[in-house]
Amino acid sequence: MKKFWLVFKHEYMRHVLTKRFILAVLSVPFFIALSIGLGFLSVVLGTDYTPVGIVDRSGVLTDPLINPHDNRGPLESTKFNFYSDETQAQSALDNEEIQGFYVIGPDYLKDGLITLTAIKALGSEVTGDFATLLRANLIKTQPADLRVRLLDGPEITVHSLADSRSVDPSNILAIIMPILAGILFVVVINISGGYLLQAVVEEKENRIMEIILTSVSPDQLMAGKIMGNLSVGLTQLLIWLAAAGIGVVFFTNLETQLGGTEMLRSYLLVLVVTFIPAFIMIAALMAMVGATATEAREAQQIAGFFSIPIFMPLWFITAILERPDSALAVGFSLFPLTSPLTLPVRVAISTVPAWQIALSLGILVVCAVGAVWLASRAFRLGMLRYGKKLSLRELVRGTD
Amino acid sequence: MPTIVVDQISKKFGPQTAVDQASFSVEPGEIFGLLGPNGAGKTTIIRIILDIFKADSGNVSIMGGPMTEGKKNRLGYLPEERGLYQDVQLDRSLVYLSTLKGLSGPEAARKVDEYLQRFDLYEHRNKKIKELSKGMQQKAQLIVTLIHNPELVIIDEPFSALDPVNTQMVKDLLREEREKGKCIVMCTHQMHQVEELADRLVLINEGKVVLYGGLQEIQRSYSGQDVRVHSLGAISNTLPGIASIEPENSGSRIHLQAGTSPQKLLQTLVENGVQLEKFEIAIPTLDEIFIQVVTAEGRPQ
Repeated sequence: MKKFWLVFKHEYMRHVLTKRFILAVLSVPFFIALSIGLGFLSVVLGTDYTPVGIVDRSGVLTDPLINPHDNRGPLESTKFNFYSDETQAQSALDNEEIQGFYVIGPDYLKDGLITLTAIKALGSEVTGDFATLLRANLIKTQPADLRVRLLDGPEITVHSLADSRSVDPSNILAIIMPILAGILFVVVINISGGYLLQAVVEEKENRIMEIILTSVSPDQLMAGKIMGNLSVGLTQLLIWLAAAGIGVVFFTNLETQLGGTEMLRSYLLVLVVTFIPAFIMIAALMAMVGATATEAREAQQIAGFFSIPIFMPLWFITAILERPDSALAVGFSLFPLTSPLTLPVRVAISTVPAWQIALSLGILVVCAVGAVWLASRAFRLGMLRYGKKLSLRELVRGTD
Repeated sequence: MPTIVVDQISKKFGPQTAVDQASFSVEPGEIFGLLGPNGAGKTTIIRIILDIFKADSGNVSIMGGPMTEGKKNRLGYLPEERGLYQDVQLDRSLVYLSTLKGLSGPEAARKVDEYLQRFDLYEHRNKKIKELSKGMQQKAQLIVTLIHNPELVIIDEPFSALDPVNTQMVKDLLREEREKGKCIVMCTHQMHQVEELADRLVLINEGKVVLYGGLQEIQRSYSGQDVRVHSLGAISNTLPGIASIEPENSGSRIHLQAGTSPQKLLQTLVENGVQLEKFEIAIPTLDEIFIQVVTAEGRPQ
């Protein structure tokens, strides 16, 4: 058991302490932050904050003036300056105090006529702000709650029949979160699997297998390698989650966005119980490939066969989101390589029958056990074959 | 109690017989040569001894019984396939492999430093293994084999990739380990290297034991009726007791007639006034013995 920890520590430290790992870990949050920052910056830079003039001949915008843009968020709303006639507005425009001015016609309520004078076309946010300002003031005599409904529109909540759980489809985060978390988990599975693949080929590639075998038992070696490399992946995940958490706290209020903790809890539970056998299965498959291949590059090529189906649900993600109970979605959540990404997403957005969850997890567990069996077999048969591949037939039929 | 007992082991890979009913034993405090040409089955026998392969039949006892995890800490093995973690720093790689042999972390670090200094590798300790020369890597592998002070040392082809200076160093090292009472098994096809070192040996050909015993007894039993002579003048082949004379290097090889002892010939030569620089019984080299054995010629009388 002591040697298991030695292998574990060695496998963990040698990856975590490398520049490559630190770069890989930090680059993802860095690039995400960078792209968000750049997007933000381009909006800020692209927006003209010069005020816009209004000449109101209709009397719609007279006292009391309602300003609907009180809680607009990080970006400022357009500032409007009022002028009593067009000459004043024109001279303000000539002095570049304003970027343009609207003239609301005297019979606006009848003909809806408004003219805009500007040097160049105004941004869409200005047009939107002006329309909202007009609308809010036109209905200012209505009762307060009616005004809110007219301005904000309906808030639709979808209830599924068998369950009390409900998802608000306008709440983007509730749909995006499970997909993102699923992708993140699969990425971690792949990263850890990749490390493991390399780790298993390593002894063979470096011709050190016999020294290792006469120092430590193959079981302890494999267990140490699997756990060590899983921990590398988890470290990466934790750092990313921490970075994401900081980002989410900055930008939104997570609890209200996720629409209730019950959904979150069942989703996380399914995610974790899917993740564990899925990780073991994929790790074992990677280890098996590593043990049969002769060098890391070759092993990585073969491992691509496993990686592609894992990501496949993403290609069909719209279909799965629109119809989470379709045959395609059910099929994907039963097939062991696609279920880690499909099942938690389905659980998050709809009601999945218990038998499907159980069957899906059952298949995953059986496949994980089978993969571990194949991997240890491949390891025993393939460990001393330097430069020679182990064929599938030998793997299934051969003895040592 | 012998350190290794190999009893009638056989191993087949598919239709090919790699080891065929091989038996021998190795005692503590001796350097034992496991010899044979390439492909004779030497490495397979070692792998069976170390429990990497299972024998189809026969038994192996190592340090008093079957191989266990605990015994792995008491043996050092340098396989023919030489390697270390190429991308890992030399000292870290050595410390890791030493701790896998049961040394504690601080003890491993201390001993690694000590051995690196002794093997002239200390200034390279921060380099990655792949940045070292082949000879340096071989020395690093020897450190891994010996650092945990094992009772049993098994080295497959100990002198490959070593220059004469390092070859001599390894020979001295192996003798030193023998003085400490270690049991050393050297597996090689370079038989002349073994002549200098080995106390006893087993010779394998096509998976079978063809020769087994003490080095000197084997050589004596294969030395025939020949002597090697360096003389100042020519030796007449008409002298009594001489069957024939062949020139050999700078001297001659004299085949004796049946019934003539080397002592008798020496006496004859001296009586006939031949000025001798060198006179020795022609002890066959292991290479010669091996060729004799496998071609089934000139079996000892």
